[in-house]
Amino acid sequence: MADIPQWLTEPEQYSPPKDRDRFLDRSIVSFVELLSRFRSQSALERDRLWVSPVSKLAAAALYIVLVSLSRQFSFVYVMLAYTAVLLALLPAGDLRRCLTGAALAAALAYLILLPSALAGSRYSITMIPAKTFICVALVNILSRTTRWDRLAGALRRFFFPDLFIFVIDITIKYILLLGEFALQMLYALRLRSVGRNKSKYGSLGGVAGSLFIKSRDMSEELYYAMECRGFTGEYRTSRVRLSWRDGIFWLLNAGIVLVYLLLS
Amino acid sequence: MIEFSGVCYSYGESPALQDVSFSIEAGEAVCLLGPNGSGKSTLLRVLNGLIFPTAGKYSFEGREITPALMKKAAFAKQFHQRVGFVFQDSEAQLFCPTVYDEIAFGPRQMGLGEDEADKRTRDCLSLLGVEALRGRQPYHLSGGEKKKVAVAAVLALNPEVLVLDEPMNSLDPRTAMWLTQFLGQLEAAGKTLIISTHDLSLAAQLSKRAILFGENHAVEADGETAALVKYAALLKKVNLI
Repeated sequence: MADIPQWLTEPEQYSPPKDRDRFLDRSIVSFVELLSRFRSQSALERDRLWVSPVSKLAAAALYIVLVSLSRQFSFVYVMLAYTAVLLALLPAGDLRRCLTGAALAAALAYLILLPSALAGSRYSITMIPAKTFICVALVNILSRTTRWDRLAGALRRFFFPDLFIFVIDITIKYILLLGEFALQMLYALRLRSVGRNKSKYGSLGGVAGSLFIKSRDMSEELYYAMECRGFTGEYRTSRVRLSWRDGIFWLLNAGIVLVYLLLS
Repeated sequence: MIEFSGVCYSYGESPALQDVSFSIEAGEAVCLLGPNGSGKSTLLRVLNGLIFPTAGKYSFEGREITPALMKKAAFAKQFHQRVGFVFQDSEAQLFCPTVYDEIAFGPRQMGLGEDEADKRTRDCLSLLGVEALRGRQPYHLSGGEKKKVAVAAVLALNPEVLVLDEPMNSLDPRTAMWLTQFLGQLEAAGKTLIISTHDLSLAAQLSKRAILFGENHAVEADGETAALVKYAALLKKVNLI
């Protein structure tokens, strides 16, 4: 074993030069937010709002179609009130995130439609942002109250091919796994960025390159593991069961369809 | 030098550290023992200023490490130069095109000048016995080689404190023994070593002192490693054996 060199036994007299590296901090924050979103998803021990993912998925699609088709303010108001009730059932953190997303989407729709309002079309500037708010809020509620793997499983009920569900499932898992690896790499880069980095984007490119190789290795390993376990292209997920709660929920949905027909 | 007092940390609603208190003097070598999921890796992240306690206080040389302090680039960079961190997964630590560039990354950033940076890089290559790998791409190395390169890349910064997260994982017995002896050499050279491990057979050789974590994410014992690794009842209680 080689001897420890002299410089390694002496304390370092070092004062770091100034450098701009906020991009690294921002990248780390984005990854932490993304991962905490995925972690909070997989930490959902049971789906919220009591009904099965199959019912929630079908109902969300139904609501979006009805809201999009409706030309009556009164129905849109009914759906706004219904969405508000669903939002009120969420925990504070989820409520804030759902509201923020929906409000931003509605504000964007409003901005896009502003020229048409100035030209005299008041209908679209009132109606479309409200519809956008409802649709985005409903999708957010679905995402916040149901585990994504169970949502993917629910697609089986709608005759989606096994391979499609498998790809969605694996994608969700790999975003988390690769995201964690990318976060580790960014942490490592930050820990060793102790001075002036003349090639910041080069270092970040190195991180992206390693991440690419890692993802390729992981996909190869997954393929071999699946082959070793006799994978034949058929992917079975646990069947989502319907309960009496779903029955009550669909009675409510029948009422919403009735309201839509009456108001139309 | 390092002081934790009543440190807590949680990921959302799941706790990772509960009321952790201890202090480590300069030049000391300490093993953090505990089963998987007991909070060792989280503690190392707090130690390196990557995450911050949700309650309690972590101080380095008398200064409390807070998000506000770590936002000051000059302090953060100096802190990271003084406290080196070797990740559990060496792959995550290697992002340069060649082994040489990987090791030279730190010295070059410190503005040492190409000659001094080259000297340090060569010293580290020789110290870790990886001279032959200098032109290789880090990603295509074996597990043991990656670990050696990761250690060399951190040592090139000449940190006062070296933090290692499960350094013996995925190493063959010979490389593990080599690394144990090498860490002993670093300790003799005056470096402060903080090593997380669940390898009881190597812990006693790595450090005189050990801090044992339980599945409740709290410190269960803090004492002599040789005595702790023989305390079967305690090790059973924390699910380490």
